[in-house]
Amino acid sequence: MDTAIRVEGLVKRYGSFTAVDQVSFTVNRGEIFGILGPNGAGKTTILEIIEGLQAPTEGRVTVLDLDISRHRNEVKARIGVQLQSSAYFDYLSLQEILSLLGTFYPKRIPPQTLLEQVGLLDKAGSYVKHLSGGQVQRFTVAAGLINDPELIILDEPTTGLDPQARRNIWALIREIHQRGVTVVLTTHYMEEAEDLCDRLAIMDRGCLLAVDTPRNLISRLKAAYTVKLALDHPLTEGQMASLNGTVEFVQELDGNAYLLRLKGGPSSLGKVLDEMVRSDINLERLEIAPVTLEDVFLELTGNELQD
Amino acid sequence: MLAFTFANLKMMARNRQATFWALFFPLLLVVVFGLLDIKGVGSPNLVLVDQADTDASKLLRDELAAIEFLGLEDAQISESAARGRVADGDLDYLVIIPPGFVDLSPRDTTIVPIPVTFLYNTRDAQRNQLVDGVVRNLVAKVQPANLSAEQALPVVSIEILVPEVSYFDSVLMGLMALGIMTSAIISIPVRISTYRNQSILKRLLVTPLPIWKYFASEITAHLVLAMVQAAIILSVGVFVFGAKIHGNPAWLFVIVPLGSLVFLNIGFILSAWARTPAAASGMGNAVVLPMMFFAGTFFSTDTFPWIFPDLAEGLPLTPMLSALRQVAIDGAPLWETWPQLAILAGWAAGTAVVAAKVFRFS
Repeated sequence: MDTAIRVEGLVKRYGSFTAVDQVSFTVNRGEIFGILGPNGAGKTTILEIIEGLQAPTEGRVTVLDLDISRHRNEVKARIGVQLQSSAYFDYLSLQEILSLLGTFYPKRIPPQTLLEQVGLLDKAGSYVKHLSGGQVQRFTVAAGLINDPELIILDEPTTGLDPQARRNIWALIREIHQRGVTVVLTTHYMEEAEDLCDRLAIMDRGCLLAVDTPRNLISRLKAAYTVKLALDHPLTEGQMASLNGTVEFVQELDGNAYLLRLKGGPSSLGKVLDEMVRSDINLERLEIAPVTLEDVFLELTGNELQD
Repeated sequence: MLAFTFANLKMMARNRQATFWALFFPLLLVVVFGLLDIKGVGSPNLVLVDQADTDASKLLRDELAAIEFLGLEDAQISESAARGRVADGDLDYLVIIPPGFVDLSPRDTTIVPIPVTFLYNTRDAQRNQLVDGVVRNLVAKVQPANLSAEQALPVVSIEILVPEVSYFDSVLMGLMALGIMTSAIISIPVRISTYRNQSILKRLLVTPLPIWKYFASEITAHLVLAMVQAAIILSVGVFVFGAKIHGNPAWLFVIVPLGSLVFLNIGFILSAWARTPAAASGMGNAVVLPMMFFAGTFFSTDTFPWIFPDLAEGLPLTPMLSALRQVAIDGAPLWETWPQLAILAGWAAGTAVVAAKVFRFS
C-alpha cells in the first residue's frame, strides 16, 4: 500500500523538555488515521512538524513521498490543514475567506462547491463570528479542502462540540475519505477514535505506545470484559485474595466500588458470583461491559484518558 | 498579493467602528482648532540694524529692548540678511537706523534727514499698527526736543507682503501626521496580536503563500488608508475651516506614505511584545502620545526647555512634520525637503530591519 506519511525517529525538544520522543509510524494512503492521547501528549507538535510549521530536533518526516525539510512548499501546496482553535478574518464572509485562501494555492476548488459540501451554502455571505460552533468547525474543514488536497490534517476537529455536531463532522470526514483523501486527525475522544479511524496511534507524554486498528488494539487485551462492582463494605484482603483466581483488579473506585476484568469469557462470571457468595461479599450493583479503547488506554498508560 | 491587499482594505472598510475612531480623533481636533480660531502662540520678533552707532541709536535700542513683547533679538546681522528674513516670513519687524542718526548735541543743524526704515510683514495687521505706532513714538522720543520739524527724522514704514499663515494652517499638518501615525502605530499591533491569538498567522503559514506577501499586502492596504485619511483631514481643514495650502498638495501625498511606512514598521516592532490586543493598544498609545507632544504637532519645539528641542530631532515624526510644513506653509517644492525625506527613508529602513528581527508568528 502507498504511504502518505512516513515518520521516522521523530524527536522534538524545547530546551530540556521533550515534547515528542522517538516516534515512528506510517500513514497509508486512503485511510483515516487517528492520533489519540490526552492534552500534552505531543499530538499537535507532531502535526505541526508534518505541516512544516516546526522543524524536528531529530528524525525524518516524508509527506506524499516528499521530505518536508527540503520540499516544504510543495508539501504545503498538496495537503490541507485544519488547525486547532484557528479563527478566520473577522470582516470577510465565508465565501471571501475561501476565495482569498484559494489564491495562495496553484490548484483550488470553487468556494461555492466547498460550502455546498459542508452544508454552509446558505451562509456564504455571513461572517465566521455569526456561525455556531459546529458550523465553524465545518467551515474550517472546508477551508482545509480549498486546494483539493491528497491529504488533510485535522487537529481535534470535534473538540468542544455537542454530540449532534460531532456526528455531523464525522459524517463529513467519512465523505471526504470516500473521495480518496487521506485523513489524519487527532482526538482525545475514545468514541471518535474507535468509530471513525481505520488505524490509531496511541500517545502519552511524547511517546508512541501503540499503532494498530481499533479492533486489534482491543483484542490485545487478554480480558475481553470489564466488571464494575459496588459493595456494601470495602473488601478485606482475604476477600480480595479469594477473587484473584477469576478476576484481575484494575482500579478501586469511590464508594466501595471496584473495576475488574474477567480472566475468562462471559461464562466465567458465574464462578465469580459463586466465589462472592462463599466469601460473604454483598453486592449492591454490578455492571459488565466489553472492553473499549478506554481500557486499552488505561492498560498502556496506567492513566485514564481525561476529557 | 493584490487579492490579499483588497481583502485587507475590505476588512478595514467593514470594521467601521475601528476605522471611524482612527479618523475621529484627529478630525475632532481639526474641528476644535478650526472653531477656536487660535492665532498662534508665538510672540513677534524684532531686529534692529544700527548703522549709526550713536548715543541716540543706542538709546532707541534700549527703549525697544525694554518692551519685552517685541522680542528684540540680540544678534547682529546685516541689513540684507534681515530684509531677507522679513521676506521669508521668519522675522516680524525690522528697524533700520541710517548712518547719521541724530547726534544728541546738535551744533550742526545741517543733518540730511535719512529716514528710519521700519519693515514689517503682513501676517498680523492689527499688531503691525500697534508696533508701528510704538516705533514712531520712540524714534521721536530719542531725538532732541528742539529739532525743527524739517530736521526731525521721519520713519518710513514698508509693508512686505508674505503669504498669510495662520496657526490653523500649521496645526492642520500636525493633525494630519498625528492621524496617520496613530492609526499605523496602534492598528498594526492590535491586528497582529489578534491574528496571533486566533492562530490566523499560523493558518497563513501552513499555506504555500510566501509570508512576505502577507506583510506587503498589510502595508499596502494601510498606506492606502493613510492617503484616504490624509485626504479627509485636509479636505475638512481646507474646505470647512478655510485652511490654506501654499505649496503643491500633491507633494503632501508623497510625504504621507513615506512617514506612514515608518510608523507601520514601528507598529510591527511593538506587535512583537503585545500579547493581547488590549496591551497592543496601550503600547501604541504610550508611543504615540509623547511623540505627538515632543515632535511639535501643536507647538514649535524651539521654545521647549532643556534637552527637549534636541530630543524632538530624534523622533521620526519631526522630519515628517517639517517636510509637510515646508510644502504646505512655505510653499517649497518637494525636492527642497530632501533632507527630511532622507531622514524618513533612513527611519523606514532602520525600523524595517528591527521589525524583521523581532517579529514573532506565535
